[in-house]
Amino acid sequence: MKNWIQAFSVIDFISVGILLTAVAMNAVKRLESCVKIYTLNSWLLSSLIAIVALMVGEPHLYTASAATLLGKGILIPMFLKRVVRQMRVTHDVEPYINNALSLAVSGILVAVVYASLRQGIFVSGFSKNVLQISIAVILIGLFVMITRRKAITQVIGLLFMENGLFLAGFSLTYGMPIIIELGVLFDMLMGVIILGIFAVQIKRAFASSNLDNLTILKG
Amino acid sequence: MYPEKFLSIGVLCFLLGSVVSLLPLQRIRTYSFILSATGALNFIVFGLFLSFGLPLTLPPFPISSVFELLFSGDGISGFFVIIISLVAFSVSLFSIGYTREMKHRGLMGFFFNGFILSMYAVVTSGNIITFLISWETMSLVSYFLVTLDRSEESAKAGLVYAVMTHIGTAFIIAAFLVLYRYTGHMDFAGIKASSMQLPPGIRSAVFLLFLAGFGTKAGIIPLHTWLPRAHPAAPSNISSLMSGVMIKTGIYGMVRMHMDLLGQGPEWWGIVLIVIGAISSILGVLYALMEHDIKRLLAYHSVENIGIILLGMGASMMFMSHGLYSLAAIALTAGLYHTLNHAVFKGLLFLGAGSVMHGTHTKNMEDMGGLIKPMPYTGFFFLVGSVSICALPPFNGFVSEWLTFQSLLLGFESPSVISKIISPLGGAALALTGALAASCFVKAFGISFLGMPRSHHAENVKESSPSMLVGMAFLALLCLLFGLFPGMVIGVISPAVFSLTGVPGMSPGTTVVSISETASSLSPAGILIAIGVMAVATVAFLFSVGGRGKTRYGDSWDCGMPSLTPRMQYTATAFTKPIRMIFKRIYLPKRELNVSYLLKPFFVKSITYSGEITPFFERYLYEPATRVIHGIAGKVRLLQSGSLHLYLGYILVTLIVLLIFGS
Amino acid sequence: MEYLQFLIILFFSPLIQGMIKTTKARMQGRVGPGVFQPYYDLIRLMKKEMVISHVTSWIFKATPYIVFTSTLAAAMITPVLTTKASFGIMGDVIALIYILATGRFFMALAGLDAGTSFGGEGSSREMAVAILVEPMMMLSIFTAAISVGSTNIARIAEAQGMVYSPSHLLALSAFVVAIIAETGRIPVDNPDTHLELTMIHEGMLLEYSGRYLALMEWAHYMKQMLLFTLGVDIFFPVGIPGDTAFAGLGVSFALYFLKMCCMAVLMAAIESTRAKLRFFQLPSLLGGAFVLAFLSLLTYIMMGR
Repeated sequence: MKNWIQAFSVIDFISVGILLTAVAMNAVKRLESCVKIYTLNSWLLSSLIAIVALMVGEPHLYTASAATLLGKGILIPMFLKRVVRQMRVTHDVEPYINNALSLAVSGILVAVVYASLRQGIFVSGFSKNVLQISIAVILIGLFVMITRRKAITQVIGLLFMENGLFLAGFSLTYGMPIIIELGVLFDMLMGVIILGIFAVQIKRAFASSNLDNLTILKG
Repeated sequence: MYPEKFLSIGVLCFLLGSVVSLLPLQRIRTYSFILSATGALNFIVFGLFLSFGLPLTLPPFPISSVFELLFSGDGISGFFVIIISLVAFSVSLFSIGYTREMKHRGLMGFFFNGFILSMYAVVTSGNIITFLISWETMSLVSYFLVTLDRSEESAKAGLVYAVMTHIGTAFIIAAFLVLYRYTGHMDFAGIKASSMQLPPGIRSAVFLLFLAGFGTKAGIIPLHTWLPRAHPAAPSNISSLMSGVMIKTGIYGMVRMHMDLLGQGPEWWGIVLIVIGAISSILGVLYALMEHDIKRLLAYHSVENIGIILLGMGASMMFMSHGLYSLAAIALTAGLYHTLNHAVFKGLLFLGAGSVMHGTHTKNMEDMGGLIKPMPYTGFFFLVGSVSICALPPFNGFVSEWLTFQSLLLGFESPSVISKIISPLGGAALALTGALAASCFVKAFGISFLGMPRSHHAENVKESSPSMLVGMAFLALLCLLFGLFPGMVIGVISPAVFSLTGVPGMSPGTTVVSISETASSLSPAGILIAIGVMAVATVAFLFSVGGRGKTRYGDSWDCGMPSLTPRMQYTATAFTKPIRMIFKRIYLPKRELNVSYLLKPFFVKSITYSGEITPFFERYLYEPATRVIHGIAGKVRLLQSGSLHLYLGYILVTLIVLLIFGS
Repeated sequence: MEYLQFLIILFFSPLIQGMIKTTKARMQGRVGPGVFQPYYDLIRLMKKEMVISHVTSWIFKATPYIVFTSTLAAAMITPVLTTKASFGIMGDVIALIYILATGRFFMALAGLDAGTSFGGEGSSREMAVAILVEPMMMLSIFTAAISVGSTNIARIAEAQGMVYSPSHLLALSAFVVAIIAETGRIPVDNPDTHLELTMIHEGMLLEYSGRYLALMEWAHYMKQMLLFTLGVDIFFPVGIPGDTAFAGLGVSFALYFLKMCCMAVLMAAIESTRAKLRFFQLPSLLGGAFVLAFLSLLTYIMMGR
C-alpha cells in the first residue's frame, strides 16, 4: 500500500489540489460555490493527513484526520450553507478587484512564495513542498479577505487561512498533540457560528450584507 | 582588396551627394540619391570586411590639444554598418521617385546624406569624443529632417524629439564622465581593458545611466514618447531610415557599452533588460493596435520590436553572469538577428506606407480601402512586410523570434529561481505580442488594402513610380532571403558574438538552424518547399475530383439588402474594439456618445461617437513632470528681471564670492 | 513509408469530426448524422460551382490553398505513429504554432476581403481570441518542453515517463482549454451556427463556396485532429514506439485511434454540458486557464517533476 502511494505520488497530487482550490476561490462569484470549494479543500486536507498517517504510522494522526473531516468538512459547511440560505443572497457583488485580475494576483503570490522559500528551510522532501503550498494558501486566504465585500466570503477567507496554518504546522511537526488540535477545532467551530449569526444580524440591521456599510460605524 | 578603399569611396559618395543636392540645377539633384545608393553599396562591402574579422583602426585625427577623433571598427561595428547600408540603399532608390515633387528637395538630399554618414560614424567610433560628436550630429540632422516640411505639427513633434534626445544624451554624457573619471581612458579599447577594476556600485550606476540614455534613442517604455510623434511627422523615406536604422544605434550603444566595455555583470542586469523588453513589447503593440494613422501604428511597432530585441539581449546578459557562455551566444544571436530583421521589414513597411500616402494623400486608415487593386505591387510588398513582422514562416521575422523563444526556454537552465520563473514568462509575453502584432497587421493591411474604398481619397489612385517600387522590392527580397537562408545571416553575426562572449556561437547549415542543447531545429526553406509541394498536389487533387469547375462572380453576401455601401464595412476602430474592451484597464479609454432625437425617443437624428485614448504614462508621468518643470522655470525666470542694475549687482556679488574663495 | 504518417491526419480528420458530431447528437437525444457525413459533404462541395464576390482580390483566392497546405505542413512535423521519422528537422512545436498562425492570419485577411460586416466581425473576434489563447498555449507547452529539455515534438514524445505528475496534469487542463478555443467549440464559439452574432470561425468562411469552402473546412478538421494529436504526443505519449517495426506500428495505431476517440468523446461531452460564453466573458475563462498554466510551471519548479 505504501509503495503504491509513493509510486503514484498521491501526496503531491493532493497538495496541488489543495493549492488549486485556494486559487479557484478567486474565480467564483456565487456564494454556494465558495462554500463548495471550501468543503473540497477540507476534504483534501483530511485525506492528506490520513495518507501521511498511513505512511508514517502514527495512530493519533488518524484521529486528527477524522476530526478535520467532521469539523471542517461536514459541520462548518453545513452551517455556512444554512447561513447563505437565510441571507437569501446568491451572488457576491463585484469585488474590489475583478476576478481575472485577482486570479493573476494569486498566481503571482504563489510565485513569490516559491521563490522566497527556496533556500534555508530545514525540512526536506515532501514537507518542503507542503510547507510552501500551505504558506501560499495562507496568503491567498488573506488576499481573499482583503478583496471581497460580503461578510460570508470574508469568513471563508479566514477559514482558508486556518486550513493553511494547520497544514503548515502539520508539515513541520506531523501534528500537534491531539488536545491542542481538538481545542483549536472547537474554537473555529464556535467562531464560525458566531460570525454566521453576526452576518445574519448585519443583514437584518442594514438590509445588506455589504461590509462597506460598516464604515458608518465610526466614532 | 583593401577595406579602406571601399570606406573612402563610400564616404566620398555621400559627401558628394550632399553637395550635389544643394546645387541649383534641378536635374542634377536626382543624382544625389544615386550617389548615396552607390555609397551604401560600398559600405556594404566594407561592413562585410569588418565583420569577417578584420578589425580596422584608422589613425587618430587630433582636433585640439586634448581631444582626438578615433574611428575603429570590429565585428560588431561591421554588422551594424551592414544594417545601415542595406536600408540606406533601398531608401535611396525609393527617394528618387518619392522626392520628385517635394518642396525643399535640395535640403532633403543634403540632410539625407549627412544623416547616413553620421550614423556610420556613430557605429565606427573608437573613443568617447568621436562617439559624442557623431551622436549629436545624428540627432541634429534628424531634427532638421523631421521638421522639413515646416508645418506646425512637425514643429511640435520636432520639439518633443529634440528634448527627449537631449535628455538621453545627457545620461550618456554622464555615464561617459563617470567612466573617464574611474578609468582615465578616452578610447574604448582602454576603457574595456580597465573596466573590470571599477567598483561594482559604479559599474551598476554606469549600466543604469547608459540604459536610460540609449533607451531613449531606442525607444523603450517609458522613454518612447518621441517615437510616435517624430516618425509620422518626417517624410516617409526619412521615417524609414529613422525607424529602421537610427533606433538601432541605440541598440548598438547598449551592445557596445554594456556587453563590450562593461563586460560581465551581476544577474539583475539581464533580468532588468528582460522585464523592460517584455513590458515595452506588450505596451508598444497594445498602443499600436489603437492607432488608425498608418505611420503612428508603425512607430509604436518599433517600440514593440525593440522590446523583443531586448528580450534576447537580456537573456544573453543573464547567461553571461552565470558563466553559461554558449547559451549566451545563442541568445545574443537571436537579439542581433532580430535587429537586422527589424531594420529590413520596418524599413519596408514605412516605405510602403509612404507609397500609399503618396498615392492617396491621406494617412488615415479609415479613409482607405480596396487599394490592392489599383496598387498591386505596393500591396504585395506591404503584405510581405506585414507577414515578416508577425513572425510567420517562411520569412525572416519567424527565424529571429524562434531563436528568441529558444533562448528564453534555455533560461530555465540557469541556477537562480528568479530567472527560472521570469524566462518562461518572457516567452509567454513574446507569444502575446506575436498574437497582438498579427491582429494589428491584419487590421493595417486589411482595412487599407482590402474591401471597398471608404472615401474619395482611396478612389482614383495610381501605382507609385518604378524607383519607389524597386526600393521596396529589394527589401522584400531580403525579407525572404533572410528567412530562407538563416545560416548566411548567422555567419555574419558570429564574429560579433564571438568577440562578446568568447564562444563562436552557432554553426548552422545554410538553410537549417539547429540548437544542439535542445535538439530543436528549424528550416523555413523546408517548410516553404513542403507547402509548395502540397499546393501542387492539392490543385491536382481538386481537379481530379471536381473537374474544371465553374466560377461565377457576383456581389458579396448582403443578407438580401439591395446595396452594400462601403460605409457598411468594418472600420479600423471597430476591428480593434474587442481588444480595447479586453484590455480596458490598461487603456483607460474615454468615450462619449451623443444621440440627438427628432421625436424622442423614436427617431434618431444623429449619433456622435468619439473616443480617445491617452497613454497612461503621458497622463501620469510626463504631464506632471512637465508641469513641475514649467513651475520651476517660472520661478527661475524671476532672476531675469531685465533690470540692468540687478545684473550689475549679480556681477558684483560673484566677484566678491570669488575673491573670498580664491584666497 | 514512415514519412507519410501525416497522411493519417489528412484522411481521418473528417471521421473524427463526424464522431464528435454523432456523439454530441446522441448525448442530446438525437440520432445525428452518420460518422462519415463530413466526407460526403466535402465531396459534394468540391463538385459545386463557386460564387466569388467581385470586391475580393487575389488574397481571397490564395487563402484556401495557404490554409490547407500550412495545416498539412504542420501535420508533417507531428509524430503520429512513430517518433522515428517525422520531419522534425523542419521545425518544432513553436514552429507548429506559428505555421497554424499563418493560416489564421490569411483567413482573417480573407474575412476582410469581401467588404462585408460579417467577415470583419469574424476576423476581429478570431484575432482577439487568438491573443488570449497564444500565451496560455505557449506556457503549457513550455512546461512540458522544459521538463524534457527540448521543444522537438519527437523528443517530448519519446520521454514517456513524464506522464504522471501534478504539473503535467495542470498543463494538460490548460491545453484542453486551448484546444477548445483554437478549434472554435462551445464554450468559446459555436461551430454549428450561422447566426451573425455568434459566429467567429464561420464568419470568416461566409463568402466561400464550392471547392474553396471544401478546402477551408477540411483544413479546420485537420487542425482539430492535429491539436488532439499534439496533446496526445506531449501529455500521453504512451505507446508511441521509437522505430518502425510493424508490430509496434500496429499497436501504436490502435492506441492512437483509441486516444482520438477519447478526445472526441471528451469534446462532445464538454459541448453538450456547457453553454456558449458571451464573448466578453472569454477573458475570464482564458485568463483562468493562463493561471492554470502558470501554476503548472510553478509546480514544476517547486517539485522538480
